Amino acid sequence: MVTSFFGFERPNGEIGVRNYVAVLPTVGCANEVVLEITRHVSGTVGLTHRQGCLKLPPDLEQVSETIIGLGKNPNIATVLLVSLGCESVFPDKIADEIAKSGKPVDLVEIQKIGGSTNACAKGIEIASEMVLEASQIRRKEYDASELMLSTKCGASDATSGLASNLAVGAVADKLIEDGGTFILGEVCDIMGSEDVLASRAVTPEVGNGIIAMVKDLIVRAQAVGMDAVGGQLTEGNKRGGLTTVKEKALGAIAKGGSTPVKGTIGYAEKPPGKGLYVMPTPGRGYENLTGVAAAGSQLMLFTTGLGAPEGHPIMPVIKLTGNINTWENLRSHMDFNVSGIIEGTETVEQAGERLYEEMLNVASGKLTKAEILKYNEGMEILTYGPTI
Amino acid sequence: MKQVILVNSKDNVVTAVSEILENTTISVNSQIITVKQSISFGHKIAIDDIKKGEDIIKYGESIGMAKEDIAQGKWVHTHNVEETYRPPE
Repeated sequence: MVTSFFGFERPNGEIGVRNYVAVLPTVGCANEVVLEITRHVSGTVGLTHRQGCLKLPPDLEQVSETIIGLGKNPNIATVLLVSLGCESVFPDKIADEIAKSGKPVDLVEIQKIGGSTNACAKGIEIASEMVLEASQIRRKEYDASELMLSTKCGASDATSGLASNLAVGAVADKLIEDGGTFILGEVCDIMGSEDVLASRAVTPEVGNGIIAMVKDLIVRAQAVGMDAVGGQLTEGNKRGGLTTVKEKALGAIAKGGSTPVKGTIGYAEKPPGKGLYVMPTPGRGYENLTGVAAAGSQLMLFTTGLGAPEGHPIMPVIKLTGNINTWENLRSHMDFNVSGIIEGTETVEQAGERLYEEMLNVASGKLTKAEILKYNEGMEILTYGPTI
Repeated sequence: MKQVILVNSKDNVVTAVSEILENTTISVNSQIITVKQSISFGHKIAIDDIKKGEDIIKYGESIGMAKEDIAQGKWVHTHNVEETYRPPE
């Protein structure tokens, strides 16, 4: 079985599956300039967000680290940062940190250059040169161990915990066996099975880290008078056959496969090694996908029952479903069909092997539906505290 | 056409992947089981007799506890399963 793909090598030796010139705002006030530059220059991608200001220092630190992480993702060849000038994160520091990866980084500051029109003109000029350079990088063959995959479920139904999540788990196991890395997240869905996941951790400390993530979610919900556990199993879930929070959570963590959990990482933090890691991401896509992309994930396997279409600006998202109706009706958004597991025409292992191959094809350049339809422009950076 | 999925060999329930009418027989691990109630897509059926207080096993792990004795072939859901999840202190 093939265990290699064709990717783009970066100066630090990391391998990307795409070759973007990223136009990255350090604050939401720069979004308009980012969008204008990306409209004018092919091969650029804009990573608009609404952070960078008017949050408390711990959140600003997280925003800054996430922007740096996004810039360092190996799917990006070069980075053009766009700053307003008075934001609460430090564009020069962000530029320096991204530049440590060896890739070219430049910065345009709206207030310094005399306004957005000048910033757009300068940005277009810089981005055009960046794209010319980047377009000369060639794909070469690399081992699957260079890949860091991530996963998420969205719009789940009864097929998710029986078919698609298990197929992803099979891919997670195979990639880790081949020397790669896999990130599991979505604390709201781990809640209910954190003891099971913790029992598979390499050390008790890692296990405690998983339990702490769940506790943190419960405490934050309590702070606004809500019961995170009580709200987790909906009436819709029960009508669909889910009986307990434990059952729902076990179906969700199946996406992470069966290998030992090597460690927990912070939001947007790069895993320190190979294997399975757990990140405290929310179930919400904008922040979830951005967190793993900032950690360096090149590609995501996204299971859906009812058909969630959204992708991410810099990280291709493979949409797979075990629901034959969703596969037929929403073909324009779905990449991969595992309904054979439900019908009995395919085992989980067989679906996992096919999905592994598809994953390598997408890594080598095959476009996902979200990329084709440009259903991949939304993203956001996770913050915990109040907006000031 | 497949009727049920056994997720893990340790499980004592299977999950229906089609509507299954009462008195239909299903085959699980070479065992023939008569389904004692009509079961909807996505819902669970006991494949062993489960005693009150015993764990319901799916994904190879406990998903809850039987509130009463559950005979082989019976529907397993909120009416006869107790949530045993306790959030961390």
